[in-house]
Amino acid sequence: MASVELRNLTKRYAALAVVDNVSLRIEHGVLVCLLGPSGCGKTTTLRLIAGFVEPSAGEIVVGDRVVSSAARTLPPEARKMSMIFQSYALWPHMTVADNVAYGLKLRKLGRAEIAKKVSAILTTTKLANLAERYPGELSGGQQQRVALARALVVDPETLLLDEPLSNLDANLREEMRFEVRRLHDEYRYTTVYVTHDQSEAMTTADLIAVMNGGRIEQLGSPEDIYARPRSEFVARFIGSSNIIKGLALDAGHITVAGVPVSCTGAALAVGRDAAISIRQHEIRVDTAQPAGERQNVLPAVVARNVFLGNSRDYMVEIGDGTQIRVVTPPGENIAQGSKVWLRLPAERCRVLEA
Amino acid sequence: MNLTLAVSASPARSTFRIDWSRPILVVVAAALCLLVVLPLGWLVYYSLHDRAGGFTLANFAQLATDPTFLDPLVTTAILAISSAAICCAVAAPMGWLVARTDMPLRKTVRALVMASFVTPPFLGAVAWELLAAPNSGLLNKIFRAATGAEPDDYLFNIYTLPGLIFVIACYTFPYVFVLVANALDRIPGDLEDASSILGGSAWTTAVRVTIPLAMPAVLAGALIAFLQAMTLFGSPAILALPAGFHTMTTKIWSLFQYPPKLELAAAASLPLLAVTVALLRAESFLLGRRGYSVVGGRQGDPRRVRLGPWRWVAFAATFVVLLNPVFLPYGALLNAVFSHVPSEFVSFDNLTLHNIKFVFFELSATGLAFKNTLILCTSTATIGTVMAVVIAYMTSRKAIAWHRALGFLATAPVAVPGIVLGVGLFLTYTRPPFVLYGTLWILLIAFVTIVLPFAYQQLQSAFRVVNPDIEEASRILGATRLGTLIHITAPLLRTSVIATWCFIFVGVIRELSAAIMLFTSETKVISVLIFDLNESGDLGAIAVIGIIMLVVTFAVVVLVNRIPGYGGERLRNA
Amino acid sequence: MGGVGVSRRTILKASGAAAVGVFASPIRAAAPEPASITPDLIEAAKKEGKVIYYTSMDLPLSERLAKAFEAKYPGIAVRVERTGAERVFQRVGQEYASNIHAVDVVNSSDASHFIVWKRDSLLASFVPEDVAKYYPVEQRDRDGMFAAFRASLSVIGYNTRLVKPEDAPKSFADLLDPKWAGKIVKAHPGYSGTIMTATYEMSRDIGWDYFEKLAKQRVMQVQSASDPPKKLALGERSVMADGNEYVLFQLKESGGAVEPVYPTEGTPLIVSPNGLFKAAPNPNAARLFQSFCFSPECQQLMIDGGMRSFHGQIKDKPGHRPLDDVKAMKEDAAAVEQHGDEIKAHYVKIFRV
Repeated sequence: MASVELRNLTKRYAALAVVDNVSLRIEHGVLVCLLGPSGCGKTTTLRLIAGFVEPSAGEIVVGDRVVSSAARTLPPEARKMSMIFQSYALWPHMTVADNVAYGLKLRKLGRAEIAKKVSAILTTTKLANLAERYPGELSGGQQQRVALARALVVDPETLLLDEPLSNLDANLREEMRFEVRRLHDEYRYTTVYVTHDQSEAMTTADLIAVMNGGRIEQLGSPEDIYARPRSEFVARFIGSSNIIKGLALDAGHITVAGVPVSCTGAALAVGRDAAISIRQHEIRVDTAQPAGERQNVLPAVVARNVFLGNSRDYMVEIGDGTQIRVVTPPGENIAQGSKVWLRLPAERCRVLEA
Repeated sequence: MNLTLAVSASPARSTFRIDWSRPILVVVAAALCLLVVLPLGWLVYYSLHDRAGGFTLANFAQLATDPTFLDPLVTTAILAISSAAICCAVAAPMGWLVARTDMPLRKTVRALVMASFVTPPFLGAVAWELLAAPNSGLLNKIFRAATGAEPDDYLFNIYTLPGLIFVIACYTFPYVFVLVANALDRIPGDLEDASSILGGSAWTTAVRVTIPLAMPAVLAGALIAFLQAMTLFGSPAILALPAGFHTMTTKIWSLFQYPPKLELAAAASLPLLAVTVALLRAESFLLGRRGYSVVGGRQGDPRRVRLGPWRWVAFAATFVVLLNPVFLPYGALLNAVFSHVPSEFVSFDNLTLHNIKFVFFELSATGLAFKNTLILCTSTATIGTVMAVVIAYMTSRKAIAWHRALGFLATAPVAVPGIVLGVGLFLTYTRPPFVLYGTLWILLIAFVTIVLPFAYQQLQSAFRVVNPDIEEASRILGATRLGTLIHITAPLLRTSVIATWCFIFVGVIRELSAAIMLFTSETKVISVLIFDLNESGDLGAIAVIGIIMLVVTFAVVVLVNRIPGYGGERLRNA
Repeated sequence: MGGVGVSRRTILKASGAAAVGVFASPIRAAAPEPASITPDLIEAAKKEGKVIYYTSMDLPLSERLAKAFEAKYPGIAVRVERTGAERVFQRVGQEYASNIHAVDVVNSSDASHFIVWKRDSLLASFVPEDVAKYYPVEQRDRDGMFAAFRASLSVIGYNTRLVKPEDAPKSFADLLDPKWAGKIVKAHPGYSGTIMTATYEMSRDIGWDYFEKLAKQRVMQVQSASDPPKKLALGERSVMADGNEYVLFQLKESGGAVEPVYPTEGTPLIVSPNGLFKAAPNPNAARLFQSFCFSPECQQLMIDGGMRSFHGQIKDKPGHRPLDDVKAMKEDAAAVEQHGDEIKAHYVKIFRV
């Protein structure tokens, strides 16, 4: 079992750096999620790790071996990794059992042993009675499990997953998220998981690397990323945030629509434009002006009020025209056009780095 | 609260509109039936009747016992099997090299294969006569000069069965190549990546994943090559007679010599038809097998196999193969254009424009042949494309009740060899009520019937890509089916429609097997002209006309590839 | 009409007694009036503007004839449809069976075709002035339906670069020598009227035995009688067993390395008549063209092309072996008409194509 380290990894297609100077260390047994929108470079990074793509610069080290560098790249078949493809990539001309046994045959195991291992993994993935079927005869969920079985049966050092759940329907996806995590806990592979779905990332990952434009914007545990987003991009991408822009008063305060707002996080540069993020459910709405406080209280007008059953979704407009979304418990129903006061707790106003 | 809704009477139409859709669809369907069913019907009728009109099986009996029929049958079988085998052996590896490796100049190779594809096989046969006739052939001359061999020695003799097999294979291998290359293009890269990541080397992956997945295409290609070789008329007609044997197609043609033995010709055509139908069923079975299509979501682009230093060896081998259908024959034709005697190499001293002068200023049939060909090519292309659009629309949108039968009829002609169709049409239209023999109409009918399956398949694939919702949106706003087809769908299919038109144009120029049965002096076309010139040995004139044919063909093909959004897809749908 | 060259006696000798000639098939007792080329005819012909000529004569010579006519009578386009005589016959049959009247004037090197056409009442009666004045009676139809437009011989030939004159074959029997195996080219009676006629004459005078032995010589089989001379010139084969004398002559004149041989057993003589159809689409142009064909001008063109002519005023080309000096086989169109199919079938059986 080995760690995987990316050192200044770069991949360029013509002038465009699809993966731009990415450095990341994944300790043995950790499940890292590469999370980001389409085109952010996460799949290319995964394929670089797999060896399907050669780096333009930088290197990839597995354990203490340099497997990829600009000069030399080890072919995928020599990396002792396993991969689950977004399309599952099941071979249509082989049965489920043959698909799963393929990797074992390449490792020159004996027939009896192969049969035993295949049977075991098929039982684990609940595919035992489908062993002689062809992929074309299976449902999406069953195909996905075959891909899983095929990848796991060879006991890889590193497991790579390329958006493995995106072709499943919502219910199955939820179920499989937990299943993937459970398998990882049981076998403790070093796993790299690529997805664009933040709830998938939050559920399965030990570490999340949020990627944008070929770079890692923030690396941290799910809580870290959620509670302390460091950039506007991460704030928007994870959870539902409002981004409020203003002018920095001092190291810990900005002014928004004339109101001073105390915030936490990085120190601000005085006089510069600044932005904070605050989650939609972290803002309190008062119909009466709070007595005495002026700091962190923004006057606003309700522009929209939608009842969602277990919450209310408001769109309010503050003095400088910025629209802010607020989610409250369903009880109070504030009419459109009413004047309200928003209370932003200082510790929830997180400064965003530029 | 009582709400009463006043129900108004259904609104009167503001304008009276005729929905032409139904009638047109019905007319096209009927035309299709006529095109296909009539000639085949007469063929069967003639084969089962004798000269006096009485029912008899004697025609088939004669086929089975007369050695002058059995010999060509055996020869044709040998011909077809050998050609198919050579085509697969050559084209499948070439397809793999082009689709799956990093061999250099892959696009050029695809283009050259395309050039082989559009070269008329009979023209290739004449060109190879110039190259490999045992005594006068240019290659043999070079051989003798280079090795100092005896004047009687030769390296190649084109006037033999192997010679004919070779020429046929030269112009049939593109079918296999295209099928294999397309299949390989479509195999998702993921499938090979999955094998690699599990530890499979490039070789293992090729053997256990790529080749099995491409196998159906190879076999389908072999079947098509077999069918083509079996039903070709031009090349055997040119090379077999000097070689001293008949093939089924030349034998059928010879039955039209005076006095014509139409019943025997019909009877001899039916085995060809039966074999064709059987093999086509086998082919569609192979290509439609379970699971050889894509499963799942987004596919990857294939990673190309690195050949390393072998890249240039691979290219050299491919180039040598392509010498045979393209470079050598075209060179020989050009040489024949400018030389007094085609067996002499042209040099600056003995260059002559006499052949060109003859074709353009002295040969009185030239103008008419070119005119007829142009008329037939454009009208076949136009009518064929329109019919194919309508039929493809009907079948892909399931617009009328028996659309499946329609689809079957539209592809049925592919099962009828050109010469068989020629015989059938001859029998149908030389008798009342429709005596079309002697007009361009009968040729038009023959050509449209021959090209329709291909055009239909092209446009059917194109229709599949257009979302039916687009048309529903138009109809909900009040347009008829036909109006939608004309104003919404057809413009979307523009590139496919234009490409189909061009390919039909090219295909008609080189059609010979049906034309040779149906032409008269007024309706002669270029392919028949070349064939006639070959009978009297006027090779220089053939070379001039042949080169013109090739130039026009290439111009049209290049034009197709310039259409924005189309270039590069050409071979995919060929 | 004496002089060097063709004489009536020669023709009599060559074409055999009048009784068996193609020209001796009577329908009426009196021959029609000869027609001269009048300005009215020319006017009417120009109005029609074109004439369609089916012929089996070698293409370049046919086109030269056409161009000469067009030069003399501008405004009338000639379209030549050249194909083997047997195919011409088949073509005309197919067209007329479907009521298609595309052809005006026809020339065939298989004279028996005219027997059939006349019998089927397809031909028009028209005697050009030249025919009446200068052509021997034996060379024209009694009822004016056709006349001998040209004549040639089917000769043996060899390529002078590949074969030395002393080694060249001098008779048909010589061709059976094993040393010529694989070196012979010949044409086919199924396509060529010349060869059809020649095969009949040879089967009658030499016997089928010759053909059976010839078939074992691995002969290169071509279609038209114009092709073997061209194959010789190409150098593809060294010897031709049959083929048009006039094409060989033209090739030799223009510097080709070829030489004819008149076999000792006798050389088949082929007489090719011209006729015009009753249902011709351009009847006046057809008559004008037919008249032109038999004119001295046109016949001289033929002679220059190596052909033999029966026109009394025209002599053989100097350098061309006079017909008198050739031992020619007698032709018999009626017999060809009777036995043609048999002969073709027999040939196909022997040569297997």
